[in-house]
Amino acid sequence: MDYQEAIGVKMIFRIFLFSFFALLVKLNAQVPISLNEVTANADSDVGDQNTTIAIAPAARSSEEKTIERAQEGLKSTEVGSRVGAAKLLGKYRSIKTSILLISALDDESPLVRRAAMVSIAEHASNGFPVYDKALAEKIYSKLGDSDVEVRREVSTMIPRIISPMRRSGMELIEINGRKVYRSVSSAMRPDLYKMTQDAFLDKDAIVRQNVLKYHTYLSVPLPLLSLEKLLSDSDLGVLLTALDRISSSASQPRIVNRVKALSKHANKGIRLKVVAVARNANSYHSDYRGILREMTNDSDPEVLSMAAVELARFGERVPGEVVGKIKNFLLGVNGLSTQVTTILYTVSSLGVDGAEIYKALTEHSSSQIRAIAWQRFINLSEGWRDSSVWLPATNDPDPKVRKVVLNGLRGQSNNLSEKQLGVLVESAFSDVRIFAAQSLLDASQSTVESLGFDLLIDEDTIVRSTTIRAMSARRVPGWLTIMKRSLLDTDYVIQRSAMDGLLGDRKEGVPVLIDYISKNPQSRISNLAKIELNKIGVQP
Amino acid sequence: MRFIQSFLIILITSSSLVFSQSPSQSNEGSVRIVQLLRQENSIRRYPDALPSLLKMLNEQSNARFDTDPLFINTLTDERLLENPILYINCDEQPNLEFPQEERDALRRYMEQGGFIYLDAGIKASFLGQDLGHSYAAWEERPEVKELFSKILPEKTFIPLGRDHDLFRTFFTGLPKNKDLEIQTEQKRLPETVLSFVEREKWPQATYSFVGIKVKGRLACVASPICAMGWGRDEFGAWIPPISFRVRESAENFDQNLKLASFSGGTYEVTREDGLKDIIYSENGQRPLWVQEPNGKWRIFKYYSGEEISNYAHAFYSRLGMNVFLYALLN
Repeated sequence: MDYQEAIGVKMIFRIFLFSFFALLVKLNAQVPISLNEVTANADSDVGDQNTTIAIAPAARSSEEKTIERAQEGLKSTEVGSRVGAAKLLGKYRSIKTSILLISALDDESPLVRRAAMVSIAEHASNGFPVYDKALAEKIYSKLGDSDVEVRREVSTMIPRIISPMRRSGMELIEINGRKVYRSVSSAMRPDLYKMTQDAFLDKDAIVRQNVLKYHTYLSVPLPLLSLEKLLSDSDLGVLLTALDRISSSASQPRIVNRVKALSKHANKGIRLKVVAVARNANSYHSDYRGILREMTNDSDPEVLSMAAVELARFGERVPGEVVGKIKNFLLGVNGLSTQVTTILYTVSSLGVDGAEIYKALTEHSSSQIRAIAWQRFINLSEGWRDSSVWLPATNDPDPKVRKVVLNGLRGQSNNLSEKQLGVLVESAFSDVRIFAAQSLLDASQSTVESLGFDLLIDEDTIVRSTTIRAMSARRVPGWLTIMKRSLLDTDYVIQRSAMDGLLGDRKEGVPVLIDYISKNPQSRISNLAKIELNKIGVQP
Repeated sequence: MRFIQSFLIILITSSSLVFSQSPSQSNEGSVRIVQLLRQENSIRRYPDALPSLLKMLNEQSNARFDTDPLFINTLTDERLLENPILYINCDEQPNLEFPQEERDALRRYMEQGGFIYLDAGIKASFLGQDLGHSYAAWEERPEVKELFSKILPEKTFIPLGRDHDLFRTFFTGLPKNKDLEIQTEQKRLPETVLSFVEREKWPQATYSFVGIKVKGRLACVASPICAMGWGRDEFGAWIPPISFRVRESAENFDQNLKLASFSGGTYEVTREDGLKDIIYSENGQRPLWVQEPNGKWRIFKYYSGEEISNYAHAFYSRLGMNVFLYALLN
């Protein structure tokens, strides 16, 4: 009975729709919906197991009456009635219900205040946020509520109430009986500002975390002392958020020391976060580099590897012992995760050492890792120049690995020797033999003559058609005969390759094609051949 | 108890799998989960979910799973029979209509000892096309029902009892503060939410599951979407945020909700006891309230925030791990 939450921050933008939107919703809410509309709405979602039940309109009161009754309920002396009224008002979005709920935030019972706050949040998440500055400030002031659940709700709602709170404008006041307009600053009220500062160190970890997360929206700076304390927090969520917030104070030695202390934190996630923070803050203080260096001795190979590759990115030479640990870590992982992917790609920054790691990983049991390893190894070692480097990859049992390698080689590899090409021709995998056929374009004439015929009788159509195209392009001796016979093949793909080959040679190829058309006018390929010949100005 | 279970897991994962482990398919000695993805280029729902869950399984139990699920786009893929667990997120499939040969393959898979986990195989239909909602209905979604009526016409999905072993294969009970890695004195959930969760939503860490037995063995289970609660980012923080929908009562609700203004439609959803709840929902809005078979009316309230999300993730992950370990043990 849960749902994935839409990203709350986006709600901020909705807040700009101001009073017109609110008024519109209010008007809409008061328009009674006919029974026909009710049925249509329900039917649109009906599945097999649903039954739509018509609601008898007479049995229910109007929205106005319902709200009035809830308003009375809020005045009840019974806490239960006030709670019920506050909960119910969350279902009706209007300015009036918002004001009623906000007034209930001063109820003496925390149960009522909680229910009211949850209902206000419900309005906001259903597209009806409070837009009036004073009302938003009233809600926000409950960040100082004595009840932790109320404070949690308010702190969660900060992105939704921040826009009206920061709005500037004009207000009309009376001074000595005279009405005077004066500007209203967008700055936060001093009492709320103080409350926010205090909330950084709230007793409750969730409130601390939320205020930390959203304080920049509020334009309330995080004091250095508070940040220092938060970096010693006992709650992991607070610590992770605090680490995200060090940028403005990253150069302060006290903060550097706290980050250094956290680099030895028992929780691996925190240490990984420290690696990211130290990398980002590297320009603010030289000690961050030292933190990364120390972390290359971390007991966890993942943390160690992350720290090492970040150092390598800065151009530092990573000791051989650490490189060995990175290699062992990657060889031991049970597949790709976000972190492993990051490490795997950044191993490139280790230079020659990185190439050795990739080489070792070409035998990893995870095909995804092998694919990346082969690709990177061949690139880093310029392995496309040496077939002994990449030939083993063509034996990989996973077609995706072979595909990555062969795609990387296309256009790079050339002049394969007869022996090298022979290995590809003998491959059990058709994708490798297709690559072999494509390689005939670069191979020596003798190699083409020697191996081309093996590929011409391949069981795979694509291998054969690719070979036909290569042989026609190379004009190997007897190629016209091959094309002529291929035109008689029952496979359209083969016929098409032969036709394309013959069309490329006007002097000798085209007459052969015309001859075929005259003898086989009903053939499927003849129709296409006539069109193609017409295009080059030849009338068959 | 946990030690014994872990011991069993080691034994079973290392020696008695009915499926042969091909070195090309899985990491040495580890179990590879097969995931059906009929359209490789479609938008993935929770792509980090399953790898994160499998990583947690490796970290927290002695079982060894390959954290790379093996994707297949057809059930006739021969690699399916090489691996013992098939995971299908029903929301990720373009539809649940399979040709005869794939249906036959699925039947064969179950008969030969394979286990199928149909995540989002339960979906209360008042949710319509809205994905990312997990609602405890006690009936498989109509498309799943249709599919399995063709695969195993002699069988039907049966709700799993709250006392089923699946819910306590490895983890037992709901997450406590220690499991959530928060201070002992910290409130893990708002009071009303915690009370609802413990008594009704997930009592003893159970949830609405239905299953089919083949040859006396539970071979397929379906649940509301759980994968949304499995994902972690690289620092271990849960992703994405999850909110709670809880039922709440208050004084006079039985009367007030019956009479309150309402202009939407109603939907019936099967409960655990087989009776029907009537859900009141307005078009485009989240459900408002529910009329229960005993005549009681309760309102739906919505809670979001760090503590809610963390708790939900912890629950779904523990549940997910229990399901996969159950699949291995059985």
